Amino acid sequence: MRILVVGGGTGGTILANNLARRLSAEIRARKVRLTMLSASDKHMYQPGLLYVAFGQMTPDQLYRDQASLLEASIDFHVDPVEQFLLDQKQVRTQSGKIHEYDILVIATGSRIVPEEVPGLVEGAETFYTEASAVKMFKRLREFEGGKVAVVVGVPHKCPIAPVEVMFSLHDYFKSRGIRDKVTMKYHYPIGRIHTIENVAKWAKPEFDRMGIEYETLFNVKEVDVKNKIVKSEEDTETHYDLLIAIPPHRGMEVIEKNNLGQGGWIPTDRYKLTMNGHDNVYVLGDTTNLPVSKTGSAAHFEAEVVSENIASIIKIGTPVRDYDGKVYCFIEAGHDRATYAMFNYLNPPNLKPPSKPMHWFKMAYNQMYWTSVRGLL
Amino acid sequence: MATEDLQRLVEVAQLVTAAQEAMSDEIVTRLAGAMSEGLNLLDRLTRNEGLMRLLQVLDRQETQYLLIALSEAIHAASHEIPATAPATGGLACMMRVIRDPGTQEGIRLLSVVGKHLSHSLREQHRRGG
Repeated sequence: MRILVVGGGTGGTILANNLARRLSAEIRARKVRLTMLSASDKHMYQPGLLYVAFGQMTPDQLYRDQASLLEASIDFHVDPVEQFLLDQKQVRTQSGKIHEYDILVIATGSRIVPEEVPGLVEGAETFYTEASAVKMFKRLREFEGGKVAVVVGVPHKCPIAPVEVMFSLHDYFKSRGIRDKVTMKYHYPIGRIHTIENVAKWAKPEFDRMGIEYETLFNVKEVDVKNKIVKSEEDTETHYDLLIAIPPHRGMEVIEKNNLGQGGWIPTDRYKLTMNGHDNVYVLGDTTNLPVSKTGSAAHFEAEVVSENIASIIKIGTPVRDYDGKVYCFIEAGHDRATYAMFNYLNPPNLKPPSKPMHWFKMAYNQMYWTSVRGLL
Repeated sequence: MATEDLQRLVEVAQLVTAAQEAMSDEIVTRLAGAMSEGLNLLDRLTRNEGLMRLLQVLDRQETQYLLIALSEAIHAASHEIPATAPATGGLACMMRVIRDPGTQEGIRLLSVVGKHLSHSLREQHRRGG
């Protein structure tokens, strides 16, 4: 049995390690072969980018060698896939090599596409890449006061990021003693301040308390960099001195080029996590088109379900679990306090008041992540 | 609830508050980092079949004799070597060393270990681990 994992991000790594543990005897007996193909030999802890943007972490703290995170029995290659030949149960990589499989797992993730909004690349700061997070921090250091506008593109990774960045900005300017010289305005594309209703209900009074203005139904149309104006599809506009954007995202180009899913999101069964029409192809994390948040935690919980099911198919011939849509997000709420949102397909999140121990839990998780991707937590 | 019990509760609460005040993000990060790496190490060690087998073997009485003998041998050798004249080299010197019954016993022990090691390795490769 040949299992091929395409993508070495959070979902792919947890899945491969879980499978290597569950199928250790079968791999040792050479009945199962587990291969991972990734575009990079490095693994990045992506939630850490927000900390980099506020000078609380340096980029080197976000990386580990991918090979060091994988079980020794996983055959790991840095050779990204260029062609998916699903009918032949093969993939072709950048190096030209063909990999055959019996079970394929696609966990290629997503990418930012700020270029889809005119002026956004030139006019806005963001923190979704290492370089942009460092640039944003330098910009914040130089900022001495004025109008800060935060705009949100859709869809985007990490649903909590827009509110977290507001709390972090408030704290940052306060710690520099310039909060009274800064006006902060938050813009959100739908009719409330967050897509998750209970998060919106919780965040609104927090924004009011911090003196953060907000405008809903604001879908970014373009940025007039010269005049420092951001315009919406709804024909409203905001002037800014510093513009911070949560950029829109798409699935990876290779998914689009191979016509596996519109926008790079692969149509996926919400419970089985198989690609529609292909029972031997599983999809994980950001790559799915599921109505769940594009976060590491969703990828993590999905990876656990898929690894258990693949292992049970090999051992007893049938899958044993369904994915229930579980997502768990920490929310840094400012003032060294945090809370969390946990929800699934059926149950919305019920947010607790922010506390210091939850903030420490998040701080601890930033380190425990490396244990988590090894399939241990 | 008795007054002393309440007093104890207050003291515990004070302790928790003091610990909270003393903690910082840096401390939490370092502690979590150490715990995380410790957990990974423990996981790797406990799932290492070779290491687990070694621990099982080390639990046997005869292996403990071997370990005691090894530690005594290291101790004795560390005393003996500085007191022994440096080797002069050549066949005559080698013959003198080889004629020593202790050396012969040592070579025999090493060759017995080598024989079993070689056999076990061959078997494991044949079985595929």
